[in-house]
Amino acid sequence: MILLLVLVAAGLCCPPRAAAQENPYFVAYSHHLEEPGNLEVEVYSIYGTQKAGGDFIAPWMELEYGVTAWWTTEFYIDSQTTFGDSTVFTGTRWENRFRPLMREHWINPVLYVEFENTTDADKTLKEVVGIDNQFDAAEPNSEANRSHTHEIETKLILSSDYKGWNFSENFIGEKNLGHEPWEFGYALGVDRPLRLAATPRPCNFCRENFILGAEMYGGLGTVKAFSLSGTSHYVAPIAALQLPNGVTLSVSPGFGLNDNSHRFLLRWGMSYEIGGFGRKVRSLF
Amino acid sequence: MGRLLIPTLLLLALVAATAGAAREWKIDDRGVLMVIAKAPVKTRARKNPYEGQPDAVAAGEKLFRQHCAECHGDDARGLGRAANLRSSLVQNATPGELAWFLRNGNLPAGMPPWAGIPEQRRWQIIAYIKSLGTPAQ
Repeated sequence: MILLLVLVAAGLCCPPRAAAQENPYFVAYSHHLEEPGNLEVEVYSIYGTQKAGGDFIAPWMELEYGVTAWWTTEFYIDSQTTFGDSTVFTGTRWENRFRPLMREHWINPVLYVEFENTTDADKTLKEVVGIDNQFDAAEPNSEANRSHTHEIETKLILSSDYKGWNFSENFIGEKNLGHEPWEFGYALGVDRPLRLAATPRPCNFCRENFILGAEMYGGLGTVKAFSLSGTSHYVAPIAALQLPNGVTLSVSPGFGLNDNSHRFLLRWGMSYEIGGFGRKVRSLF
Repeated sequence: MGRLLIPTLLLLALVAATAGAAREWKIDDRGVLMVIAKAPVKTRARKNPYEGQPDAVAAGEKLFRQHCAECHGDDARGLGRAANLRSSLVQNATPGELAWFLRNGNLPAGMPPWAGIPEQRRWQIIAYIKSLGTPAQ
């Protein structure tokens, strides 16, 4: 909460500087990486309903840094509160995204590698893979938080821009470093600003700063049973406001598409882009 | 081992992030020329649909301050190794060449591609850059 207030204050006080061009997806990724040297501080939360347990809120924080123009690294801290149960810290994640091609193409690939050190109590639902379903989240926190999982997650991100629209397709492969099989999933995203050209005057709430879109994501089974059987799927519209000072506010109600899915998810968040962070840090040494 | 892994990975990330600390980057605007030279012929001849429109120049200036000034400076003369956008190399480039360069960037040199912002806005930025002209010697 304190961090959120700091971000809001920073967003209101700081002069217009680095505005991100990343798409405001919660689950899917586009090929647009963090600008080199910029640090983006992001605070997100998800509220979810579940049949077999109390509803939950899972906040997480992201620190995203553009190492180069073709490499973005990101660190996550996850937690969750289940109503009628408890609040727990559920782990950390470290992700890296690489652009193998140096130019823009019709379809732009990005390679994604993430290491997860989380517990089974993690409910951030940043990806849905294998036969993940809402009943996984019903285990009491006291038990679920005892079970640590170390996982490697890989994604092939394909993304295109066309006439102001972005179309992103992610193919996910996740491997528990224990003796679990590979699990697969997908995420699709599409979005567009409400106005393509900018207006001459500075403005916060004009149409050019609003982005609307939608995501769809779900599991695709495991390497042993690559199918839709037992998997869960979601569709989620997105609305975002990208303020010129680097603050982005986003919200996304999500709806489960079958009985395995949480019936309703609500994601919201805020990010703040600190331009030239790397240069400022380097100047200290 | 598991407990050490995350701190180790974070340390590696920090080292990578500050890897450029000891380097003294030279400003070399010829790099822009070399990249622009790779632009396909048909894109070089493209006209800026906003050319000569004062509103587009004003919108471009606004966008420049949001997206570009961090590296190229408020006066567009370039900071660090970012190119001086007032240089004759940039000012003599055609709008089509600049549009191609802005869309594709120069990833090895640290210039990100700006395909994530709509094409109309990229043309507005180019209208602003062209309005700067080459400074008097």
